[in-house]
Amino acid sequence: MALEPGSPGPQSVVSRPSAWGGLGLLLDTPAKRAAAIVVILAAMVAAPLLGPYAVVILTNALLYTILALGLNIVVGYAGLLDLGYAAFFAVGAYSVGILTTVFGWNFWATIPVAVLAAVCAGIIIGGPTLRLRSDYLAIVTLGFGEIVRIAARNLQITGAASGISGIEQPWLFGWHIAGSTDFYYVFLLLAVIGIFVSVRLARSRLGRAWLYVRHDEDAAEAMGIDRVRVKLAAYIIGAIYGAIGGAFFAVNFTAISPQSFSFQQSTLFLMAVILGGMGKIPGVILGAFIVVLGPELLRDLGSFRYLVFAVGLLLIMLFRPSGIWPSGAKR
Amino acid sequence: MTLTTILLQQLVNGLVLGSFYALVALGYTMVFGVVKLLNFAHGDLYMVGAFIGLLALSLVAGAVGTSWVGVGLAILLSMLAVGFFGVFIERIAYAPMLKAPRLSILITALAVSLVLQNGVLSLTGGQVMPFSPKLGFAGINLGDIFINYKQIALAGAAAVLMLALELFVSRTQYGRAMRAVSVDKDMSELMGIDVNRIIAVTFFVGTALAAAAGTMAGAYYGSIWYFMGFLIGLKAFTAAVIGGIGSIPGAMLGGLVLGLLESFGTQIPGIGSAWKDVFSFSVLILVLVFKPTGLLGKSEQERM
Amino acid sequence: MKLTMTSALAGLTLALALSTATFAADIKIGVLVPTTGGQASYGQDMANAVQLAMDELNKAGGGNTYSMVVGDDGCDPQQAVNAATKLASSGIAGVVGGYCSGATIPTLKIFGDAKLPFIITAANSTKLIPANPGNAFMINSTGNDQVAKAIDVWKAKGVKSLAIVNEGDAYSQDLATLAQKSFTEGGGTVADFETVNHGEQDFSSVVTKIKAANPDAVFWTAYDDDGGPFIKQLREGGYQGAIYVGDGSTSTNLLKLAGDASEGVFAFSSPTAEFLPDAKAFADAYQAKFNVAPSSYGPLTYDGMKLLADAISKAGGTDSAKVIDALSKEDYKGLAGEISFRPDHTLARSNFIVIEAKGGAWALAQ
Repeated sequence: MALEPGSPGPQSVVSRPSAWGGLGLLLDTPAKRAAAIVVILAAMVAAPLLGPYAVVILTNALLYTILALGLNIVVGYAGLLDLGYAAFFAVGAYSVGILTTVFGWNFWATIPVAVLAAVCAGIIIGGPTLRLRSDYLAIVTLGFGEIVRIAARNLQITGAASGISGIEQPWLFGWHIAGSTDFYYVFLLLAVIGIFVSVRLARSRLGRAWLYVRHDEDAAEAMGIDRVRVKLAAYIIGAIYGAIGGAFFAVNFTAISPQSFSFQQSTLFLMAVILGGMGKIPGVILGAFIVVLGPELLRDLGSFRYLVFAVGLLLIMLFRPSGIWPSGAKR
Repeated sequence: MTLTTILLQQLVNGLVLGSFYALVALGYTMVFGVVKLLNFAHGDLYMVGAFIGLLALSLVAGAVGTSWVGVGLAILLSMLAVGFFGVFIERIAYAPMLKAPRLSILITALAVSLVLQNGVLSLTGGQVMPFSPKLGFAGINLGDIFINYKQIALAGAAAVLMLALELFVSRTQYGRAMRAVSVDKDMSELMGIDVNRIIAVTFFVGTALAAAAGTMAGAYYGSIWYFMGFLIGLKAFTAAVIGGIGSIPGAMLGGLVLGLLESFGTQIPGIGSAWKDVFSFSVLILVLVFKPTGLLGKSEQERM
Repeated sequence: MKLTMTSALAGLTLALALSTATFAADIKIGVLVPTTGGQASYGQDMANAVQLAMDELNKAGGGNTYSMVVGDDGCDPQQAVNAATKLASSGIAGVVGGYCSGATIPTLKIFGDAKLPFIITAANSTKLIPANPGNAFMINSTGNDQVAKAIDVWKAKGVKSLAIVNEGDAYSQDLATLAQKSFTEGGGTVADFETVNHGEQDFSSVVTKIKAANPDAVFWTAYDDDGGPFIKQLREGGYQGAIYVGDGSTSTNLLKLAGDASEGVFAFSSPTAEFLPDAKAFADAYQAKFNVAPSSYGPLTYDGMKLLADAISKAGGTDSAKVIDALSKEDYKGLAGEISFRPDHTLARSNFIVIEAKGGAWALAQ
């Protein structure tokens, strides 16, 4: 039994697959859409004026945006439940951490390796298991996530439980990317690239193949789509997002440890994807921002903050069961 | 200790631990079977069960003491109270979501889990509470293997509960209805089964089992805290899937298998306690690669 | 998205605006501890200890009124960075706390950039030392000091084989591997080395393994919440050798959770437990105010707050450069003994003692 996706009916299959989902409802002309994007981008560029705390939590929200976009490709586009996405995040972060501190590599040189490592991880875990039904796939990915975390905790090369610290922050054409504002802009740029790639993917041949596989695997197969290959592609692309997010996370924090790659992190990523409305890019971004900024804005509640946050999540799901962002299909 | 006695002792350890996993996994699997929901709050209901059990024990302590009778009564009271609590959660959080996309209800379950954990955290200030009934140290020595009475009682109680569940599901009208709903909800409705009622009964029974396991864990291990459901929730989920999620005998088998994998994993040189979870997850993945629906899971007919 | 963002940012600006309005004699101190997540009870304990110290300071007069701002790090590096940044921009004069080493390390740079004195009262991984930009002071001895003491004790007691059990977090794993290394170098045999999960209640298979290896002593390097049940199961499982625990387990909680099985357990501790007259007063006041017993890091955190207040009064104000300077010259007598610092801002004198559980309370061991 396949996962029910964000439940666009048959009509939406016929209409052009719109990665922007319900944005069309609010902004009906390309000009308005472009204007909205420009306004949002301008606001994001100006955000550091709000002070260091705002910069740090917005950077975090942008990191989550990148990771949620990556997970959205797996869950939202291809319809595969992944409960261990933190593993790919960890693979990226540890590749950078190990290569820069132990082997003295330059940060930029480590990125291809991090991406390659994530692709391998995606193939290793996806290859034999993608034929599984979604609930079984969920536990396999959960198990894989835990295996990666425990290995990082036990191995010497990953610094065991203390992790790796003293990761050097990179230079780019004479610019030392070191301050929190620097990283804010780096993550903003990465998020914009991530969005662009996601949009292009949704409209590509592969994107349509995912849509068919998600709706009806067997029909898709009958139409000549190799479903295992198509799913594997989603896995690999998702893993690359995770690895790049992890790589920049490592240089931003300069220290990484297994606590950052727990099962709870994976569930937060998944929450971000589904809360906003999976498969819909503005929804995923919104979800990422809620998951990060929600608990932050509730900080003054002390140990009650997650209780209030969780009740909020519950209410959101009850009132918007398909995610906050309106679905484009219900026109 | 000789190797044989070590292995036998690990067998006992694994079976005791496995019976906890099995009890919690049963609730997972029942709810999944009927509602097709991975109830991530299930481990937290186990935790709530432990706290209610402690409360119940302190209430009945005056009348019957905190020995075996007191603990037994506390288990029953906790099962009853937390069972209804499970139904309540189902009504307010899950029932409105049953027609929603399946992943949305998964997120709802995660949110319920967060609410329960943080709610108990706020109520208890995060303290680890001692749960110390007077059950004594005593046990029996079989050669070098030591089995204490708590372990016997625990495995016995788990077996009784599982047997009762098996009878309930296979012999009673509710049980039959439950099985019907798990096969085809819409068709059951047409056959005149009150599906909502059956879902409520399923949650009651599943949650009550978790509460029993939680209270027993409290009495057996001697301490309870708000985060105790997290790890066992993951383990029980794993156990349910190893056995074949949706299958009741599968959950029992899966629980015992996982308990044994962990105890022997700890003993095997080169794995040890540090890698035992990697060991059991690897076995799980291998099982699924070769048997995609778990050990006892029915291969669901996917349309061809 | 725009709507949420605007309201989020409006909230932030408001919070920032409010936080800059402070009075001259009112000193706000940031407390960086986990108050949510799996380690919340320890964070709560540390926050309570700071509160108790502040109450006493405020009651004693002396011109300054202290209040605290808690930053919840959830024992997670990302959360810790958020919390630290928020604390740093909320008009505080210094920071007390730091529980999980992994979460504390990335905050060092933030407090360093903000030039805030930071008294680290629990986290003690050796990885904190090179990451310290110069504003942080560690008042919990690092694992090296504790292991040195432990080796002496084991040598004196004729312990030749040892089983070491840790919980796979930075602190307990660090302590366990250091102990393993030193003990082996000293000619001892580490018969068994185990890593259990935090919050895993069942230790039976580890107990069986230890019983089979039958070492002279078992060393538990992790915290009291799992240490209690571990000791209980170790005794119930029939292990009869000596049991030692590290400084994360020196609370009365451990004794309560272990019950009768705690009898005769040895602990390496800063001299903080309730048998010392000063510490006894602390434990009583704590119990009276919060209705629970202080946990392992309560006394040290209490000391940390008092130490910071002492440095502030010696510096004649909250000017951070002066306070940091005063701290580096400190020679303060706290519950946990004398606090002064090496050039790398770790504790100059380690003063580990050995205590023994007797009749449900800790007492100095022979």
